[in-house]
Amino acid sequence: MGAEERMGIVAGLTVGLAVGLLVVALLFRKKVLDCTFDERQEQARGVAFKYGFFTLMGSIFLYGASELAVGRWCDALAGGCLCLAAGILVFAVTCILKDAYLSLLERPRRIITLFALLSLSNLGLGALQAAHGKLVEGGILTFRAVNLVVGIMTFVILMVYVVNFLLRDRETEVE
Amino acid sequence: MKNLRLKSARAAMDMSQQQLADAVGVSRQTINAIEKGDYNPTIKLCVAICRTLGKTLDELFWDA
Repeated sequence: MGAEERMGIVAGLTVGLAVGLLVVALLFRKKVLDCTFDERQEQARGVAFKYGFFTLMGSIFLYGASELAVGRWCDALAGGCLCLAAGILVFAVTCILKDAYLSLLERPRRIITLFALLSLSNLGLGALQAAHGKLVEGGILTFRAVNLVVGIMTFVILMVYVVNFLLRDRETEVE
Repeated sequence: MKNLRLKSARAAMDMSQQQLADAVGVSRQTINAIEKGDYNPTIKLCVAICRTLGKTLDELFWDA
């Protein structure tokens, strides 16, 4: 990969990140996204954040140790994303299991739709990269695997949310 | 320990968990957790629940 291509990728990532942040900020401004949680949820999310943080620390350590042990097996961006995905996954799953994932104004159907769209689009892009044989180059997992990683992460979060919603959410009103 | 007094006070006012939750500004799961004894609410939330249900703190939350 040439220097120009690398700079192009970095520029693309930066622009993508900026656009993503802008969209999220806009959604907050329009009250589509909301972060108002009650006291129990705040407490549960604090615990979940702690678990997510320690998972992130552990996975960064494991990533570094694995590179020392077996040599380079993925590029830095893919490795970083894998560690972030592990941390986010633990945070989200803990929040879901403690009934503290959705804020007071968010509705399950909207979140399920959002995660389904995120999951499908990222898995689709990941499959496209895999079909072109660009996920692994020279035995090294490339940054192009990021979509697949994000797709798998959002899919697992979606599944945990749906199963938890079906198993636990309905029992409460009946009691 | 389950808070059956809260549950019966809510039922006496013909309120669902969701209605009580909306009235005091928390999630339905939080009301459910309090009734099941899984969550110990702050005094602020206890007072809000008592005001909504027209009960005193002693009547709903005090274990004699």
